[in-house]
Amino acid sequence: MLALLGGSASVGLAGCSALLSEEDEDEDETSEYEVSDNADKAQAAWERVLANTAPEDEAIRTDAYIEIEEAVRDDMVLLPLFHNQEERFWYDHVDVPKTGSLGAHHQQHNHTDVDGDTELNLINSTFSELDPIMSTDTASGVVVNQIYETLTQFPNGVAELENQLLEGVETSDDGLTWTFTIRDDVQFHNGEDLTADDFKYSFRRVAESEYSERANFLLETPLGLGIEYEEDDDGGVVPDSIAFEVIDDHTFEITLREPNPAVLDILAYSAFAAIPEGYVGDIEGYDGEVDHQEFETDVANGTGPFELDEFELNEEVRVVRNDNYYGTVATLESVHWEINEDPESGFTYAMERNADIFGIPTAQYDPDLIDAETDDSGRESGTYGPLENGDTVNYLAIPELSTFYLAFNVSNVPRAVRQAVAYVTDHEEVIEDLFQGRGFKAYSFTPSGMWPSGQDGYESWVDEWPYGVDETDRDGARDVLEEAGFTDDDPYELTASTYASEPAFGEFAELTRQKLSGLGVEVSNQETEFATMQNRAEDGDVEMYSLGWIWSWPNVTYGHFALEPKNTDTSRMPNEATGFYLDWHVNLEDEA
Amino acid sequence: MSRWRYFFKRLLLSVPVLFLTMTFIFVLLRMGPVDPVAARLGPQATGAEAERMRERLGLNDPLWEQYLDFVTSFLTFDLGQSWVVFSGTDVTTIVAITGPPTLWLGFWAILLPLFIGIPLGFYAGLRPNSGGDYLASVSGILWQAMPNFWLCIMILAVLRQTHGGGWLGFDWYTFGPEIRSITGTPDLAFLSINSIETGLITVPLLTGVDWGALAVDIKLILPPALVLGSASMAAELRIGRTAILETINSNYVVTAKAKGLKDRVIIWKHVFRNAMIPLVPVITNEAFLLIGGSVIVESIFNINGLGNAFFQAMTQGDLPLAGALLFIFTLIIIFLNILQDLLYTLIDPRVGYDR
Repeated sequence: MLALLGGSASVGLAGCSALLSEEDEDEDETSEYEVSDNADKAQAAWERVLANTAPEDEAIRTDAYIEIEEAVRDDMVLLPLFHNQEERFWYDHVDVPKTGSLGAHHQQHNHTDVDGDTELNLINSTFSELDPIMSTDTASGVVVNQIYETLTQFPNGVAELENQLLEGVETSDDGLTWTFTIRDDVQFHNGEDLTADDFKYSFRRVAESEYSERANFLLETPLGLGIEYEEDDDGGVVPDSIAFEVIDDHTFEITLREPNPAVLDILAYSAFAAIPEGYVGDIEGYDGEVDHQEFETDVANGTGPFELDEFELNEEVRVVRNDNYYGTVATLESVHWEINEDPESGFTYAMERNADIFGIPTAQYDPDLIDAETDDSGRESGTYGPLENGDTVNYLAIPELSTFYLAFNVSNVPRAVRQAVAYVTDHEEVIEDLFQGRGFKAYSFTPSGMWPSGQDGYESWVDEWPYGVDETDRDGARDVLEEAGFTDDDPYELTASTYASEPAFGEFAELTRQKLSGLGVEVSNQETEFATMQNRAEDGDVEMYSLGWIWSWPNVTYGHFALEPKNTDTSRMPNEATGFYLDWHVNLEDEA
Repeated sequence: MSRWRYFFKRLLLSVPVLFLTMTFIFVLLRMGPVDPVAARLGPQATGAEAERMRERLGLNDPLWEQYLDFVTSFLTFDLGQSWVVFSGTDVTTIVAITGPPTLWLGFWAILLPLFIGIPLGFYAGLRPNSGGDYLASVSGILWQAMPNFWLCIMILAVLRQTHGGGWLGFDWYTFGPEIRSITGTPDLAFLSINSIETGLITVPLLTGVDWGALAVDIKLILPPALVLGSASMAAELRIGRTAILETINSNYVVTAKAKGLKDRVIIWKHVFRNAMIPLVPVITNEAFLLIGGSVIVESIFNINGLGNAFFQAMTQGDLPLAGALLFIFTLIIIFLNILQDLLYTLIDPRVGYDR
């Protein structure tokens, strides 16, 4: 699930700073790009991943993934800073399963109990679409997941895949044809039986509907499934051309263009949820029982444990129990979300005991009140309190599958400078001072929870981290800068680009400025709106920038594709290249 | 020039103002650096997705075409659809949902200062340099000095401490009509309206008022309205005081006194009416403040109003929603300016371009 990293805060239209994009002063120094073995190593490793996608080739992929991480580290094109910490607090009268690293929005509340009440009360952010193919944020996702269901699921957001509507699956020898058998005891909220035709219709909507926001998860590879389809003259999808064949009522077959090990992970994404055939008329061949505007907010018809009751835009949403659910029928009669974006009133609402499960805004947060222990999967659980209202509540902190990082446009910043920044970065300090301890240290782009060679492999990775673990290594930075000819007298001027809604990155840039001053690098920071920064980065106009990546499913490929050197070419963005804004391709042997 | 010609001239002048505003909004929104597609899709979207959305939203048309579309649709009140915050919902629907809470808040934010600020100001003005005057003036200045966002947070923090019995057992939640939360949007469902079918047209008819619901709605809106009205309350107090002082020392009051009129008659007939003149622009200007202030107050008190919607639209790059709301705000301000001129012409016969 994708969260908008741009977030909120800061009123007013973004300033005009983006329009005054400055000249690149350091053009002379970097116009001759060094060839780097690391770029070639990453490119070759990525190509090996693509060539070995069968399930039995996992060992080859594991090695390749680690080589990509090594190349990123040694060339220092991207410096991982922290993995987000998701925290939740709940009153004692609530009995709710622990959530996992993929996020609490995966949690279906049919296993949640509230002592003394039949309704679970929660807080949610603003959203406006209940159509699964439009739902790209966690706010709508948390509601959509109560109403609609997919073939597979990550129960409670724990990164262990289970079947949901799926009964069984078979793969052809070439790994291209997948035959799915779905459950035969499932009914939609309106009483109709779930059949393979409903899935075909739902998948066609993902590919063809003008409202679909994640068609790439079905059509493209390796970011998505890479299903076979016919392209029309404008690059769109020819109606009814996706390779989806209904065999009988409960069996269907899809054909991919290339083998893909992540198929079942991707199918857990909420866009692939089942909707009754012909319910909405937004693709060719269907008139629709309801129009799309209604389908977005007024009506819903899925197979999930709860049915939509009411949705008042920007105010509240309520879902009520589906008594006909094929799985565990909820004991709760309903779940209610108060929509509230403001931390102060959200906290007030929680302190009034109106919300059963809630978050605590940083202004009210006190790390000393936590009494928690870490479990096997890195989750910290225990209690927090006493709160302002006297209660001590349950506490859970989860390392989210996300990485927030600092990245460099390779064509604008020499390698020595990039490495110097890494040398002076102290991860411990970043987490404690800039994020009040609400985060987990990141030494690799791929989070430890899904590290290809497991937990031991990850630990030795951290041990081998060359830029000093949890320390500010000014000597290391000085050495590498002197070797490259940057001194205090002739410093390199480095511009950082951070975005306003994450002020901690701005503080990080300031911290780095102080640490590097006198060593031959002068850092200055330009803070802009998120979208502005993104636009400039896409134009190849930034030097050092901060961003984050959140995994929608626990697969290394979904993330590493953006580090493939050829895919980081900003001159081909946004249409042909989809990677991070690194311009790492300039270091490739055949490009230099 | 007569008062009425003056008034109509002012009315006509608002037409170019309207066009200038629309052009300004268009330039600001379409040509500024905010990219709604990036805001909508997030960092994981690919170029093809973005391109499809750009096409769907009409962002690939030539600029002049977009401008013509923009102006004609705004003038016909076809305000388009929200792109990001409430994607796909008509702006008119959003305004229909978010408008009433804002009106309710604005109504009380104007009413409270009117009935607290002006009487206090007049009281202080009629007893200058007395203890009561000092008390009223100093507390007025203090009140005005406190910023709205801070007041909001303080009021929330203080009131929520009384949950379940606070100081001396005072509990704001059960004091008077019972409320569940001090934040949130008032229901505004206290009027029951039935329609009468008369064959050709249906006439809405007010059939009853649910006094309990009304009391809850008032109780819910009082804290934010007090904050929102705080600045104008203090301003009215101070200007009211000065205005009274000025008129009470003027020649016609001395004359009235000399001819033996009673104090009560002097104050009601001569002082109050003249003291109201400087207060008219203060009161109408309040409405401008309310629009700006409601952005902060509504988001902190989580009221689903126009200000809250505007705040979200601005921060998330929702161009059509932000533009449409700006346009509505402009209309309101132009309307209030006209109202202000109308009030001037009614209260003060001397108003005109030349005399």
